[in-house]
Formats: sequence, structure tokens, C-alpha cells
Amino acid sequence: MSKNKRKEEAPVEPDLPITPMLDMSFQLMAFFIFTFRPAPTEGQIAMSLPTSEGDKNSQTIPDPTDEKPEVFVVRVEAADNGTISRMSITQKDAVDTRADDLGADVRAYEKALRTRYNELKGDKAKAKVSLEMADNLLNEYVVQLLDLGMQAGFKNIAPAPFSKR
Amino acid sequence: MSHSPDKACEPNLVPMLDMVLQLVMFFMVCANFVMERVNETIKLPEAVSAAPLDPNAQNIIFLNVNDQGQVLLSALDAVGKDNILSNPIQVQNYMKRRYDEDVRMAGGDTTKPLRSTLIIRADQRTPFKKVYDIEVACQKAGYKNCQLRAIRHGGKLETK
Repeated sequence: MSKNKRKEEAPVEPDLPITPMLDMSFQLMAFFIFTFRPAPTEGQIAMSLPTSEGDKNSQTIPDPTDEKPEVFVVRVEAADNGTISRMSITQKDAVDTRADDLGADVRAYEKALRTRYNELKGDKAKAKVSLEMADNLLNEYVVQLLDLGMQAGFKNIAPAPFSKR
Repeated sequence: MSHSPDKACEPNLVPMLDMVLQLVMFFMVCANFVMERVNETIKLPEAVSAAPLDPNAQNIIFLNVNDQGQVLLSALDAVGKDNILSNPIQVQNYMKRRYDEDVRMAGGDTTKPLRSTLIIRADQRTPFKKVYDIEVACQKAGYKNCQLRAIRHGGKLETK
């Protein structure tokens, strides 16, 4: 009798709740959208910090047998709005101390540095560019000059304020 | 209006669960914003030769410099509520604290390389002197190297 009763019962239909699962999926998707960060496009230009005046500890006694690295000094003047108004390049401790005028064109600056870099005879890696810049020159141009100097081949570029002449 | 007696009253827990998960999500997103140590208001200059950050760099000190020359520290880097360093003396004092911390972590050996990497994020409109004064302040605090941050540019930049 009981066997017959069980046979008459309606079959149990499996009920899979799709809606909460869908909700969960959407939430996970939203979470990943919010936390997604594309690869950073920012990069770094490595540089040495300027040595402070009177910092005697950082000064080392020069070895007379050491070959002096060639130093090029680029003087950058700025207009009132912080843009480049005039540039000139000279080689430190050279026989010819006349400065070559580069105008305000950064292409001329890059070309001048590239030419000098290619003409270097000694250890090219030791060659240095000293960028003497006006106080009000905008950082945009400072970074551009650093960047072009590195593209020209120089590894050691040091920005500095105008030296007193 | 009649209710069938065989239908059981069952509370619907799904919307409540949704709500809880959404709250969890909100807090996770907020926590991520607090972790962010770069300042989005700083407009960086562009550079082709800017290299990507060294993946081994562990402790990075970000100095966000706005166009007024003030250093804006993130919530993680700030000491107390004061997150703006408005002059080079304040920058030097702050960096000196960080330098002493680094030396302490190196066991007091100043010859060992410091664990911190110093990154200066200066706005493209910041005058050179303001950035230079901050660099000098960092040098006076004891640091020797820094990295100037720029937007990495793939091709040749247009020269102005």
C-alpha cells in the first residue's frame, strides 16, 4: 500500500536559482572594472641630487693621473612666461671658450649635443652636460632638455641654476 | 484577499546578500583609493627616455610638487594632518626623518644603499628653481639620488 502511495507522488523538479548567481557575477565584474588599472605610463629619469655649497665631505681629492671628463655647459635663459628664450653651449676648460648660440630652438640644442657627443675622443660615458637654467624656466622644458640630452647619448646631465659669472 | 494555507512564508535573503556584497565592494574600492600615493592634480611633462619603475623598488617616497612649488604628500606619507610642505625647510625636515628611518633600517650603516627610492613628481608648470630647491633639500637630508617622473612617450616628441 505504501509503495503505491510513493509512486503517485509528483517527481521533485530541481530548482537552480539563477538570479542570485547572475547578481553575484555582475558584482564580481563590477569589482574588477573598478579595481582595474591599466599599466602605468609614467616613467623616471634618474639623476643625482645637486651637491650643496660648502659640503666638504662630499668633495674628493682629484687624482692627477685621472683623465678629466669633458664637460659641456648649456646656459638656458627663459622668457617671462617660463619658456626658453635663448640657449648657448660652451665646453668647460677648452681652449676656445666662446659660447655657441643655439637660439630658442631645442632641435638646435639636440643637434649640438649629438655632434659633440660623436666627436668625443675619451670615455664617452664620463662626459657630462651641465644645464644652467633660469629660475623661472618651466619644469616642462627642464625635462625636455634632459630628455633630448639623454637621446643625444649623454648619461650624466646635471641641471643647475645660473652660475655667477 | 485570501491566502492559501499550504504556502509557507519565506523571507527573501537574496537582496540582503546583494546589499552586503555591495557594501563590501564599496569599502574595497575606497581602500584602494587610500593606497594611491600619487596626486592626480599634478600634470607631468612628457619624456621619451623616461624608464619604467624598477620592479624591485620597495619603499618609494613620492614627492608631488604642484605648480606653486608646494610638496603634496599622500595620506600614507603625511605626518598627522599636515600633508602640504610649503617651503624647502619643511621638505628637508620631512626628508631627514625619512632618511633617519632608512639608516635605522640599514642597521645604522650609512654606507649601505638606502631602501627608499625617491621620486619627484613635479608639475610641468613648476618653475625650475622651486624643483631645484626641493632637490637641494633632499640632498641636505642625506639622499644622493632621485628620479624625476614624466609621462612615458613612445615616439619622437614634438619640439616646441
